[in-house]
Amino acid sequence: MLRRFEVYALRPDAPADAVVGLEEACRRCGRFIPEVLDSAVGTNLSDAPVQLVWEHGYASPEAYRRYMVHPYHAAVIDRYLLPDAPERIVIDGPLGAGLYGYRCDTPSYRMSSGVRRLVLLHLDNRSTETDVARLAETLEEAPTDVGGMAVSIVAANSMGSAWFDGVTPLMGPPRWTHIWEQGFSSLEALEDYRHGDSSVAAVERGGWDRQLGGIVKRSAELFYEVSRDTEETSGHE
Amino acid sequence: MHLVDTVEVEPERVEDYLEVIGTPGMAVMGDAGASFVSCATTCDAIGEAVCIEVRWSFDDHVQWDEIRKNLVLDPRYHQYGATVASLRVRGTRRFFTLTTPSQP
Repeated sequence: MLRRFEVYALRPDAPADAVVGLEEACRRCGRFIPEVLDSAVGTNLSDAPVQLVWEHGYASPEAYRRYMVHPYHAAVIDRYLLPDAPERIVIDGPLGAGLYGYRCDTPSYRMSSGVRRLVLLHLDNRSTETDVARLAETLEEAPTDVGGMAVSIVAANSMGSAWFDGVTPLMGPPRWTHIWEQGFSSLEALEDYRHGDSSVAAVERGGWDRQLGGIVKRSAELFYEVSRDTEETSGHE
Repeated sequence: MHLVDTVEVEPERVEDYLEVIGTPGMAVMGDAGASFVSCATTCDAIGEAVCIEVRWSFDDHVQWDEIRKNLVLDPRYHQYGATVASLRVRGTRRFFTLTTPSQP
C-alpha cells in the first residue's frame, strides 16, 4: 500500500468558498476515483504555517497511477493547486514540498474518527539502518504506554520524492526523511499524551536531543481532527 | 483535448499578460509537451476587465500527467505561474474534449 498526505498552505486572501471547494474535492475524491482509499481532510491545529491536510491511501503503485491520470485529479483537485491555475488558492509550502507518504503492508493507519498527528522527522543522514529501526520500534510501541494513542507508525518518506508513480524518486532526498503518523481518540487524548509521563512524550518534550540515538535532527508537527466523506462505505473499524 | 484558461485582466495589464503567455509561457508549456492552440481577448474599450482565453492542446489526461510532471520539475514554470497570477484578477481553468455537435 501507499499512504499519502498532501499539506496545503492557503493564500491569506483565498475566498472562503474556494477553500471549502478544495476541502470537499479532497474529501470526496474516493467517490470519483475508487482507487483513492481512506480519504479524509483536516484543518491543521499546530503552529506550523500550513492549514489543510488531505490524508488518503492506495492499494498499490498501479492504483496510484490511476489516480494521477484521472480527470478528477487534473480538472478538480489541481484547479486549486497548480502554480499557473487561475483558481489557485495555495502558496508554496514553508515546510518544503507539501507531499509526504510511505509504503506499508496493511492499512494500519486506519481510524474511523479522532485526531491525526503527523510528526515530520529529519534523521541524520549518517544513521544506520539499525539506528532507524531502533527508533521506529521505540516510537511504534508508544501506544502500549499511552492510553489514547491508537496509531503509531514510523516510515521513510518515500512519497516526498516519488510523487509521480509512487516508486521512482524524481528528486533528491526530501527535507523530511521520515514520518511518524499517530492517531488519537480525541484532542484531549493528544494533550494527555503531550503532558503525560510516557518515555516517548519525554523525548519529544526534550526536543529529541541526544535521545533515541540522537538521530532526529529536526522535527515539525501537524495535527487535525479527521473529517471523512459521509458517503464513504469502505470498511473502517 | 484542450486546456482552456479564461482569465480577467485589467485593460492596462493586457499587454503584459499577453507578453508573458507569448514568451515564458509558450517556452515552458511547449517544452513540457503542450501545444499552443490560440489566444483571444475581449474588447479593452468597454469599461470592464478584459477576458483572455488561452488554449493548449495535448492528447489526453495521460499525456497531461506527463506534461504536469515536466512543468512541476521546471523552475521556470513556478516563476511563470507567479507572474500570471500577479497580472490577472480572476479566472477559471477547464479541460475540454473536442467533439462535434449532433445534428437532427
